[in-house]
Amino acid sequence: MNPYAIPPLITEVILIIIALLVFFKSNTSRINRIFILFSSAMALWLFGYINMYLNNNDAMLALRWARIGFIGIIFIPVFAYHFIVAFLELKRRLVLPIVYLLTIPSLILSQTDYIYGGIKRHFWGFYPTAGRIYIFFLLMFAILFTRGVLLLISHINTESGIKKEQIKYVCLAFGLGTFGIVDYLVKYPIFDIYPFGYICALLFNGLIAFTIIRYRLMDITVAITRTGVFVAVYTLVLGLPFAAATLLKPWLIGVFGSQWWMAPLVLMAALATAGPFIYIFLEHRAEERLLHEQRRYQDTLKQASVGMTRIRNLRKLLDLITHIVTKTVKISYVGIYLYNEESNSYVIQVARDKGRMPLPTVAPANPLVSWMTLKREPIIYEEVKRKMQDAISTVHSLLEENMRLLTASVIIPCFLEDKLLGFIVMGDKISGQIYTPDDLNVFQVLASQAALAIENARFFEEAKEMNEQIAQAEKMATIGTMADGLSHQINNRFYALSLIAGDTIDTIKLTDTSQASPEIKEMISSINYALNRIQANVMQGGEVVKGILKYTRKGNEGLEPVSLDQVLDGAIDMLQYKIKLSEIDLVRDYPKETTPRIFGNLVQLQEAFFNFIDNAYDAITERKVTLKEEGFRGKIIVAAQAGANGSLEVTIEDNGMGVKEDNTKKLFTPFFTTKTSSRKGTGLGLYVIKKIITDTHKGKIAIESAYKKGTRFIVELPVAK
Amino acid sequence: MVMAKLLIVDDEMDVREFAASFFRKRKIEVITASSGEEAIRIVEKDGPQLVLLDIKMEGMDGVETLKRIKDMGKKISVVMVTGKKPDEDGTFEKCRELGATDYIHKPLKLEELENVVLRILKNVT
Repeated sequence: MNPYAIPPLITEVILIIIALLVFFKSNTSRINRIFILFSSAMALWLFGYINMYLNNNDAMLALRWARIGFIGIIFIPVFAYHFIVAFLELKRRLVLPIVYLLTIPSLILSQTDYIYGGIKRHFWGFYPTAGRIYIFFLLMFAILFTRGVLLLISHINTESGIKKEQIKYVCLAFGLGTFGIVDYLVKYPIFDIYPFGYICALLFNGLIAFTIIRYRLMDITVAITRTGVFVAVYTLVLGLPFAAATLLKPWLIGVFGSQWWMAPLVLMAALATAGPFIYIFLEHRAEERLLHEQRRYQDTLKQASVGMTRIRNLRKLLDLITHIVTKTVKISYVGIYLYNEESNSYVIQVARDKGRMPLPTVAPANPLVSWMTLKREPIIYEEVKRKMQDAISTVHSLLEENMRLLTASVIIPCFLEDKLLGFIVMGDKISGQIYTPDDLNVFQVLASQAALAIENARFFEEAKEMNEQIAQAEKMATIGTMADGLSHQINNRFYALSLIAGDTIDTIKLTDTSQASPEIKEMISSINYALNRIQANVMQGGEVVKGILKYTRKGNEGLEPVSLDQVLDGAIDMLQYKIKLSEIDLVRDYPKETTPRIFGNLVQLQEAFFNFIDNAYDAITERKVTLKEEGFRGKIIVAAQAGANGSLEVTIEDNGMGVKEDNTKKLFTPFFTTKTSSRKGTGLGLYVIKKIITDTHKGKIAIESAYKKGTRFIVELPVAK
Repeated sequence: MVMAKLLIVDDEMDVREFAASFFRKRKIEVITASSGEEAIRIVEKDGPQLVLLDIKMEGMDGVETLKRIKDMGKKISVVMVTGKKPDEDGTFEKCRELGATDYIHKPLKLEELENVVLRILKNVT
């Protein structure tokens, strides 16, 4: 068997495998389909020629096989040209149909001797010789080839991003494929060279397949450099010893005798060991030079990442991130979205833009969010678009659409442990270049640092807020302690006043005024009345002070059985000095005898209910003042019934102004108040209630409210056994 | 019958003056003291039957004064007067242990004060 048939055979097998790979990647994409056709043409060519080589003894049979192979060859340039047209997404042109038309005469002539005149034996086996028309075929081939390559080159500058990179790869493939011309030349007697065209075909197909299968391509210059350095290093590693063995053989025999082949072997071993290191070293140097620009901004980004965590102000941090990214990477657009707890969506925080209005919010249900949460890596628009075109799954069209809405070229997620804190949206690079894998690596570093820094900044802001709250609470506590001392002082004044007035009234009583003139009698009567009025006021003042003392008294933490009546009585006791209880109807709607007792702290419960009723009263007042309804009468109902798990469910319902829905969540946060009147509270009331109910009593509190209708608080309290 | 003698101890001038005026109208001899130390001197020298003793005073407070007075061993009733609301820090207990006769809260009406004082003096004289 002709050994020279083996290399083309191997090539054929590899080509078929490559075609299958492309087929399985996607058989619906036009480009893929044309590629497969193209591969089939090549396969037919090789099939014919392999058999030609194998039939080394029968010239006529060999020629017939050559002519069969030619059928494949006819279609190679045609399909290649068609591939370029489809790849560049050009409109239907005139050239293509004409070219397809021309295949007909070619096909007819292929089996005659106008194409392959005869067959000649070379050292590698039979090979056809050119017929009379063959030159025209070559001409057509050359024209198509040239035209195709020119089209490709002209589009390098008009495309951007990954397409641009792909075109470069395809050009490279055609460049390598050019060497295949040797196969055609050998058909002329002048050229007696071994037809290694099949190697070029292999490289060509391989490179094109690589370009259309891979979604993420590295920069072509990097690819070429790496390949080049690799080939150079290994040529050295293998070539030097080989050269030594052949060229220096006599000298080596002279020095080492019969074991001379050890020397080249040792040399090869040494070079092979050093090989990887030499490769890495050269590669590094080469890339440094090539990617100088890119490395520059990548380093800047890395440095910035580290410095970021020190910034405590969130706004400043976000501005810094966008500034760095736009300036160093030179992008057209950057936007940062952060997760907002309250609105349960990702909200745009800051954007550097050339006049476009960014999308303000992104919902957590958005496919982009789910995708990022799952994959935990950046999403690249061009990749997504290609996958969508390859119709891999519907999710890609959803992703593509959403990315378009965000005008995103790349989206980088920022993860803090398992949670997606937010993401950075980037537009195209101004230069039109693609985002390389290196770029994405650096961005990911940036993103994770950003996540940390953002969390940090937020934490500081919260801590600041909390400190302010604590300071406020301390102030309140101080006032509480002061009230104690103050009220004592005030009581002393009242006592003195009481004695003074009292004693004087007594003196008047004991004095005999019967002999006094009517005017004197009248005066004494007035004085007496006045002194009595003073006494009455003093008494009332004393009661007010008692009320304050009750309110600021530090209740102990102990829990005991208390009845709802006791609680309400105490609350009302304190309330009568603050609000006009006569203006509203306060209804107790629970059976006194059968309502179970609450296991709680009486003082704190009284405080809680004081706040409930006080708030209800304010809401009622607000309604009165705002809506001014005829005959409106404020009503507060306190009801109780059995609650879940043997607890007591107490409801405090009022027909006041109610609360708007977005405020119901915030109501229990300290210092939040919707009170618009001058009787604005400290905003601590409901916060204090919540603490009392949930912390001390381990109960639950909920609110239902309808704006302009009323509010209901539902409280669950433990029952005393 | 010996005339009843009442000692009013309070650091407030108005309280001393007007309370004294009130009880003098009821034929009671009234002495006043503005501090615990003064009160003790008077008890030693003049021996009143009843002392109205304010608890919160500068210098020696009422509880200390009560102790000192009781230590003298004389037959004497002491009524404690406090401004604090229902006993918060066990002072009530303490005074009872030390032998106070009664414990009243201010502010209180003059009639109430009168009742307390007259009741005790009746038992004594």
